[in-house]
Order: sequence, then C-alpha cells, then structure tokens
Amino acid sequence: MELSDDIIRLRQEIEDLARDRLAESGVDRDRDGAFWSHGWAACAEGGVLRLPVPEEDGGRGVGLLATIVAMESLGRMVDDLGLLFSINAHLWAGVIPIVRFGTEDQKHRWLPGLLDGSVIAGHGATESEAGSDVFAMRTTARRDGEDWILEGSKSFVANGPVADLLVVYATTDPDLGELGITGFLVPRDTPGLQCSEPLDKMGLRTSQTGAIVLEDCRVPGDAILGRPGGGAACFNCSMEWERGAILAMHVGRMERQLDEAVRFVKERRQFGRPIGSYQSVANRIVDMKMRIETARPLVRRIGMLKDDGRQAMLEAAIAKLHVSEAAVQSSLDAVQVMGSRGYLREGIVERDLRDALGARIYSGTNEMQRVMIARLLGLPSSLPERRPDGSA
Amino acid sequence: MADEIRQAVRTHLLEDVLAGEDPSNLTDDMPLRTSGIIDSMGVIRLTGFLEQRFGIRVEAHETGVENTDTVDAIVSFVESKAD
Repeated sequence: MELSDDIIRLRQEIEDLARDRLAESGVDRDRDGAFWSHGWAACAEGGVLRLPVPEEDGGRGVGLLATIVAMESLGRMVDDLGLLFSINAHLWAGVIPIVRFGTEDQKHRWLPGLLDGSVIAGHGATESEAGSDVFAMRTTARRDGEDWILEGSKSFVANGPVADLLVVYATTDPDLGELGITGFLVPRDTPGLQCSEPLDKMGLRTSQTGAIVLEDCRVPGDAILGRPGGGAACFNCSMEWERGAILAMHVGRMERQLDEAVRFVKERRQFGRPIGSYQSVANRIVDMKMRIETARPLVRRIGMLKDDGRQAMLEAAIAKLHVSEAAVQSSLDAVQVMGSRGYLREGIVERDLRDALGARIYSGTNEMQRVMIARLLGLPSSLPERRPDGSA
Repeated sequence: MADEIRQAVRTHLLEDVLAGEDPSNLTDDMPLRTSGIIDSMGVIRLTGFLEQRFGIRVEAHETGVENTDTVDAIVSFVESKAD
C-alpha cells in the first residue's frame, strides 16, 4: 500500500515528536500505575489530539488513515502504551462522537479543550452487568423538566480517574432496548457524579481506568449527545473508529518487538553460534514478521474506508480480532526468544505481553468480534428472531 | 425510482431478516426496528446494502429510527440522499 507524501511527512513529524519528547521507558510509571501527564501534554502540543478532526472543527483534518499511520509510529517508538491507549480512548470515545453527533454549541464548548489536551475525555458505557451485552445497561436517564437525571454506575471507565468530561450512556426507557440508549456529556464537577480511584490492572497500567457512580446527577437538556434514543448509533460509530486506530499502536509495537528480537538473536550466542541460526528460534521470528504484514493492511484498510465515507464495521471487527491476537502471540514469541531478558520488567516485551492481553478484551471482547463478524456476514442471531406479527 | 428502491429494500429485508416469511406480511408501514425485527447489526447490514446498491453514503447519525423503521421511511431516506 502506497502512502501519500503528506502521510509520509506526518509520519516523520510524529517520529520526531516521539524521539524528542516521548523517549522515556516508563518502567516506574508502569509499576506505580501512574498517568504520564507530561507525555499527554507533549502529544497534545505535538498535535496528536487534532489529527483526525476536520479543520472546520479546529483539527488538522488528516483523516483516519494518516492517524492510523501516526499511531503505528507512536506504538513503535513510545514505550508507554498506556498513554497511547488513553489518547485513543479520548479521541474515539470523546472527540469523534462530539464531532460527528454534537451540536454546534457542544462543539464550541468542548472541542477547543479536548484538542489542546486541557480537557480529557472518559468513556462511560460498560457496566458490571453489561459488558459484551452493553445495551443491557441499567443506568437510567429520567426527564425532569428541561433536565435529565442520571442514576446508575459505570465500570471500566477509560480515563475515568483523570477525565474532565465523561461521555456517559444511559437508557431513557429500558423496555426499548438499544433504541432507548442515549449519550450524555457530563462534566466531572457535576453534582451527583463520583469517580473512583484507578483500578489496579494487569497491563496498560498507566492508562487510568475507574468506576463512576451517578446519584441524582442532574444534567441540562443540551447535555444530550445526538438525540434521545440515538446512543446506539453514537456508540457503534465510536467503536468502529476506535477498533481501527487503537490497534494501530499494537502494529507499531509488533514492528519494534521484531527489530529487538532480530537484533537479540543475532548477538546472543549459545553453543558457539548466534541463536538466530537455530531453526526453532528463526521460525518464531518469521512468524512475528508474518503477523505484522497481515495486521498492518487490515488496520489501514479501515482508515481508507472511513476516509472514503464508507462504513467499516465488518473490517474493524476483523482487524480488532486479528491484530489483538497477533499482538499477544508476538509478545509471547518476543519473550520466549529473548529468554530471561524478555522476562524482566526492565525490558519492553514483558510489559508488551501484559498490555497486549488487554487488546483481546477492550473495544469489545474477541468473542464478541466473532459474533459481530458472523452477524455482518448475514448469519442468524443467537437471539430469538422477531416475526412481522411480533412473535419471537 | 421509488418503486425500484422499494422493491430492492423489500428483497433485502426478506432475504436478510425475514427469510422464509410470506412476502405479503412485510407491509410498507410495518415497524422494523421498534419491533425488534432489525437490531443494530441489521441496520449496519441494511445501510451497507443501501450504500452498495444505490451508490449513496450513509452517515452514522442518519441510521436512527426515523430513517430505518419502515420500508416507507427507508425509501424516503434513500430518495433524499439520491437527490
């Protein structure tokens, strides 16, 4: 796939940013689960948060393909994948839904801060009993005059502990199922909104994930994102973009792992020869390379489709499934070929493995991606079919 | 044009979400989304079909009930996009 000169220049710009301002290993932050605020600021000042946003909304308008290529570079060069996960959650769960569904007033109020990094967006969709079955959410929104009253709780809120603005999904009528889901823009200081401390995760530890509780949380009518009952379209749009771009960082990280693994097996000698000369080691390296070459076009294709104004839900689900599994397997291979050095926390691949396992779960588990792919191929739903007379 | 769109939409729905159903049971004003016949995945397949069949682009915010709940609504939506 040929990249345009503009995208190649952007990639160079992002690599310069990563080299000049984001070259810290972050081992301590990973151990402590600490958010990298300086890294966030560097990315904001470097324009990363503006990349996919149209110019008329204050962004750079480079499109999704270019943003994906930029994320590949960041994934390759920035050790802290937790920071990149936070940036992706901010972009695809906060910024893009406002760009696509927000009113002019909402854009005017929120986009400047979201794009300059002074406002961080969090994503409140998942609930303890509504994960893969996200539209079974129990958080409710009740009309009270011109306002809405939010009641309920959200778990695994990406960026929750550091967010200034929460995009919260709630149902205005549980009997309507997904047609009752509505998105709300809820500032962190809204009375009735409480955010928890960060959860102690296995990987992506520098990305702050928490729970939120909404108790008699009153928001004005103009806090609705889109229209009442339009939350499912908003959520699906968010996931479609996210599944493409967020996996791009793992593609970049797989490239980095391959470079490091090749260097290591050429230098490391056992029984008088470089270990890369042994077929059992070389085969792992070959498999790592094959995974990169199959993963990269899948994520870039999503960018091409979205930049062409086309839907990419099927392609996004396929990419999410394939790239996340590839990232886990390549991390395992990198740890194995690097042996005891790969097993140490001071290196990068031990952290990569923990981070990659998260990719099988976030943005919809891989099991759900398979369900979606089957449905989008036209296979019947496992749920009861509805007939024209209303029977199931 | 409307008749062509209507026939194509009916054929898609009868093949995709109402396989085996008597075609006469699919009326033009029958609720599809609010009745649960089409869910969010069905909408994605429907809009993908409309994009491919009629060469239109469907934005995410255009996939709500107002444009997708009945055959009549779908036909009107496609006509408005084709204008």
